Amino acid sequence: MNSFETNIARLTRRNSALAAVLRQREGGALEIVPARTGVMSARINGRWIHSAYDPIKEAQAWAEGQSYQDGETMVVFGVGLLYHVEALCARLPRTASIVVVAPDLNVVVDAAAARVWGDWMDRVSWAWGTTEAIGEQVAAAGQPLRLVTYAPAAAFYTDSHRAIETVLQRGVASKAGGQLSIAVVGPIYGGSLPIARYAVSALESLGHRVRWLDHSVHATSYHQLDLLKNSLHRVALQSKYAEMLSRITMAQLAEDPPDLVLSLAQSPLILPALEHLRRKKFLTAMWFVENYRHLTYWQQLAAGYDFWFVIQQESCISALKQAGAKDVRYLPMAADPSVHRPVDLTQAERDEYGSDVSFVGAGYANRREIFPRLLGHEWIFKLWGNEWGGAAGLTPVLQRNGARIDTDTCQKVFNASAVNLNLHSWGGAGFDPEGDFVNPRTFELAACGAFQLTDRRTLMPGLFTESEVATVSSPDDLPGEITRWLREPEGRVAMAAQARRRVLAEHTYPHRMRELLSQIGVASPDRIGSILRGTRQAGALASAAADAFPSVASTLGTFPSTQRVELKQLAAQIRSRGPMGTLSREDLMVLMLDEYRSETKDLV
Amino acid sequence: MAHDEDTPARRLLIQLARLGDLVQSLPAFVSLATRYPHQSLDLLCPAVLADLARLFPEVRHVLKWNGTQWHTWAESFAGEFQPSCLREVERYLAELTPEPYSIAYVLNHHPRAILAGALLAAEVQGPNLHGPLNEELSPWAVYLRQVAHQRGSNRIHLSDTFCGLCGVNPPRTPPVFIPSTSDLSGDLAEVGTSAGQWVAVIVGAGDADRSIPIEVWSEWISLLLAHESPCGVVLIGSERDQHAALAIQDRLSPMIAGRVWDATGRTTLPQLATLLKRCHWAVGADTGPLHLAAAVGTCAIGLYFSRARVHETGPYGEGHWVWQADCASPAMWPIQASVKMIREPSTIPQQEPVAGWSLWQSHHDEWGAIFRRVDENDPVEDQRAAIWWQLSEQRRPLQGVR
Repeated sequence: MNSFETNIARLTRRNSALAAVLRQREGGALEIVPARTGVMSARINGRWIHSAYDPIKEAQAWAEGQSYQDGETMVVFGVGLLYHVEALCARLPRTASIVVVAPDLNVVVDAAAARVWGDWMDRVSWAWGTTEAIGEQVAAAGQPLRLVTYAPAAAFYTDSHRAIETVLQRGVASKAGGQLSIAVVGPIYGGSLPIARYAVSALESLGHRVRWLDHSVHATSYHQLDLLKNSLHRVALQSKYAEMLSRITMAQLAEDPPDLVLSLAQSPLILPALEHLRRKKFLTAMWFVENYRHLTYWQQLAAGYDFWFVIQQESCISALKQAGAKDVRYLPMAADPSVHRPVDLTQAERDEYGSDVSFVGAGYANRREIFPRLLGHEWIFKLWGNEWGGAAGLTPVLQRNGARIDTDTCQKVFNASAVNLNLHSWGGAGFDPEGDFVNPRTFELAACGAFQLTDRRTLMPGLFTESEVATVSSPDDLPGEITRWLREPEGRVAMAAQARRRVLAEHTYPHRMRELLSQIGVASPDRIGSILRGTRQAGALASAAADAFPSVASTLGTFPSTQRVELKQLAAQIRSRGPMGTLSREDLMVLMLDEYRSETKDLV
Repeated sequence: MAHDEDTPARRLLIQLARLGDLVQSLPAFVSLATRYPHQSLDLLCPAVLADLARLFPEVRHVLKWNGTQWHTWAESFAGEFQPSCLREVERYLAELTPEPYSIAYVLNHHPRAILAGALLAAEVQGPNLHGPLNEELSPWAVYLRQVAHQRGSNRIHLSDTFCGLCGVNPPRTPPVFIPSTSDLSGDLAEVGTSAGQWVAVIVGAGDADRSIPIEVWSEWISLLLAHESPCGVVLIGSERDQHAALAIQDRLSPMIAGRVWDATGRTTLPQLATLLKRCHWAVGADTGPLHLAAAVGTCAIGLYFSRARVHETGPYGEGHWVWQADCASPAMWPIQASVKMIREPSTIPQQEPVAGWSLWQSHHDEWGAIFRRVDENDPVEDQRAAIWWQLSEQRRPLQGVR
C-alpha cells in the first residue's frame, strides 16, 4: 500500500467523509521535491513552503514559537506537508485540540501522497468545505480558539483564510457578552479627536467600561508653543510636551489598569511608553485613521502597538509590517448616527445653509485647483470651511469668511444641500491618483441621508455600491455629473436613503468597535477573547473553581452571575467580611496575590 | 498558650524585610531557640537573603520567600482572577512546607508577612492579634507604632521589640554568629591578613537620603590613611554602590589609594559576612552591612542621621559606637572625631564635643541593648524594665486565623 492509501485508511477511521472526498481529488497543488535531509519538501509556483534543507527542524522551531493555554483549540492555517502540524502535536499536551483548516483539498491529497502520517494524525481534526462550513467546524471544535498560521503554506490562500477568520470573528462578536475595561487615548487636537469621541461612545453603547484619556484639554497650552518664533525651540518643546503627556497617560493607566489601551491617531503615546506598557502586559491597539502616505509617524510607533487598525489596505498593511508592526488589520471609517442624522431645518436655516452644490472642508491643493471650475454655472455653489486663504477666485462662494465649521453647522449644510461634494484631500492637482481609503465624510453624509458626489476611491466598492454613493472619476467630469444629479431629485433622494440604510446596517462606530474587539478577541483568546466570551464573569469563574477551590467559588457566588470579577474585586469581597471574618487557605492565597498585584503598577 | 516547651512543635520565624531587619531579628531567633531548646525553629526570609540566614546560629531550616515568583503570578493575572493560578500557588506553598507549622512568629507589620504566617502556620504570633483582617494590634505592635510616630524617649531597641513580639525576653548576651570561611576572590583575600587596623567603610545605604556624601567619605579615608601607622580600608556596598566607590577613590591621593580595597558589588552575602569579620572596624550609616558587621563581632561606628535613631536601630551588641546627628541633614560631619576613635581608642571617653552630634556607646543588660551617651548627658530615664513589665502583662493568648 502506498503512502496515500495508508494515510487515507487512517483518516477514514476518524473522518470518513473527508477521506471519501480526498479519493475523488487529483492533487497537484504542490510540487513535491526531496529536501537535503532526504525527507520530502514542497514548492508552490517555485516557492518553497517547507525548508529545502531540513523541513522537520524548521517545523519544530515554528511549533516552539507558538503560544498555547490549557483548554484552547489550536486552529492551524497553512497545510503543506503537515510537518508543522506534526511538530505542534509533539509539543502540545495530548489533550490539546488541533484543527487544520484546509481550503484546498488538493493540497491535502498531495500531503497524503508525499509521506506516511504517524499516530499524531489521530489527534488532528479537519475543517474543510465552504468558508461557512469551515467556520462551523472550527467553532464546533470548542472554545477558546487560538489561530496560528504557518505562513509559507498559508500565503497562497490568504483570501480564503481571511474569509474564514471573518466568520470566526463574527462568531466571537455574536457571543460577546463580557464587559471589557478599555482606555481610549485621544489626540491633543485634529481630525482624529471627534473619532475618539465617537469610539468612546460606541464602546460604551456595547456595554464596556470606557475611560477616555482626553488630551484635548491640553490643546490650549500646547498651541501656545506655536507662538514661539524660534523653530528649534518650538519643535523641541512640542516634543517634550508630547513626552510629558505620554507620562501623564501612563500614570492614568497605572491608576486603573484597563484590559485594552486603544489609541486614536495622533495620541501622544511614544515608543518607550508603549514598550513599557508591553513589559507590564498591557494590551495596546491603535486605530490609525490617517492616510499613511501623508502622516508617516507610524514608522516610529509600528513596533510599539500589539494591534494596528488602518483605513487602507495592502500597501499600508505591508508598510506597517515592514516597520515592525506584528498585527495589522483593515478597519474603515464610520459614522455616529446620533450625531450624523437627518435634521429638520427651518426655512431660515434652509436659506442660510442650503444650496444646489456645497462643499465643507479645508483648502487642500487639489480642492483649490478643482473648485474654480464649478464657478459661473447655473447652480448655487457654497463653500464652507477654513484654510482657504489665498484662494481669491473662490471668495464669492466662501461662507463665513472661511471660518472653521463646527459639527452642528456641518450637519445642517449636509441636510440642506442638493449635491454635497466630497473630494478627498490631496496635496497635488486633480484627484489623488492613489486614492484608496474612504473618508469619514462619506459615512457622515450617508448617515445624514444626504446625497453626495464623491471622487472615485479604490476601497469604495467594498463599502458602498454605485446605487448608494455617486462617484466621479475625473475632475473634468465633475460639472457634468453635478448638472446631471441636480436634474434628478428623485434619484438623489433614493440614493441618499439607500446610503443611510447601508450605514445604519454596517458602517456605524459600534459596528467598527465590535469588529475591532472581535478581531483582537480572536487573536488574543486567553485575554480579550476570554473576557468577551464571558469566562471572566462571576458565574463562569465560580464553576471553574468549584471543585478545587470551593471557598473561592463560594465567594464568587456572592457576585451577580454576569458581573465580571477581577482579582482586585475578589480580594475586596473577601476583605469585606470584616475584622471577625474567617479566612480559608484559598482566601489567604487570593489576598496574597492581590498584595503583589497592587504593586505591579510602577509605570511612571 | 497552645505550645509550651514540653509540646513538640514546629516553629517558624518570618522576616520578609531587608538585610538590616533580618540581621536585627537574630536576637529574637536566638531567644526563641533558647526558650524552646528541644523544638525545631525555622526561618522564612526573602530568597536573596537565604544563604546568609543559613549561617545564623540555631537555625534548622531556611525557607525562601520568592517575591519575584509572587509578582509573576500577580502579573500573569493581568487583572483577572484565574482559578488555575491558585493551583501553582498551592504547589509552591506545599513545597515550602508540606505540613503547616504549629506557630509562626511574624516580625513585619506588613500584610504579606501576616498573610504568609497565616498560610504557613496553624497559629500566628505577631503584630495582628486576630489574623489578617483584624487590625487590632498586639501590645508590642502598638508600642512600635507609637515609637514610629512619636520617637520621644524610647530606649528599647528594635531587635528587642522583635523579642517582645515573639513573647520572649531579649537574649542574655548579644548573639554573635561566626561566618563560615567563605572564599574571597583576588585582592579581597588579603583583607585582614596583614597587621594593622582594617576598616570597612560602608559606602551606600538603602535610600539616597540615608547615604553619606562621597566627599565626606573621601575626606574621612584620607584622614585615616594620612598617618604612618598601618591601616587598610575596604569599601563595602552592593553593585549599585560601585559608582560611589569609584568616585571616592578618584578623590583620594595616589599615595594612599594602594591601601584601599574596593569590594562593592563583588561579594555574596556570606562572603560579605566573612569580609566584615576580618575587619576590626566597620563605619557607616544605619545600613544592613553595618548591622551585619556588629552581628559577626566587628566593632561598629554608626553615623546616624536622616530617620535613623541610635536607640531603635543602633548596632546590636556591646562596645559599638554611634554618632547621632541632631538634624536629618547634617551640614558638618564628625570626621576627625570618628577617625580618632579608631586611631586612639583610649581617648574616646575624653572626646571633644562635635557641634550637631552626640556620641553613644552600646551596652547590653537583661532588657537587651541600651545606648548610653559618652558625656553622660542623657536626660531620658531608662524605662525599659517598666515597659517590658507593662507590655508583658497585656499579653494575650495566641489567636489563629481559622
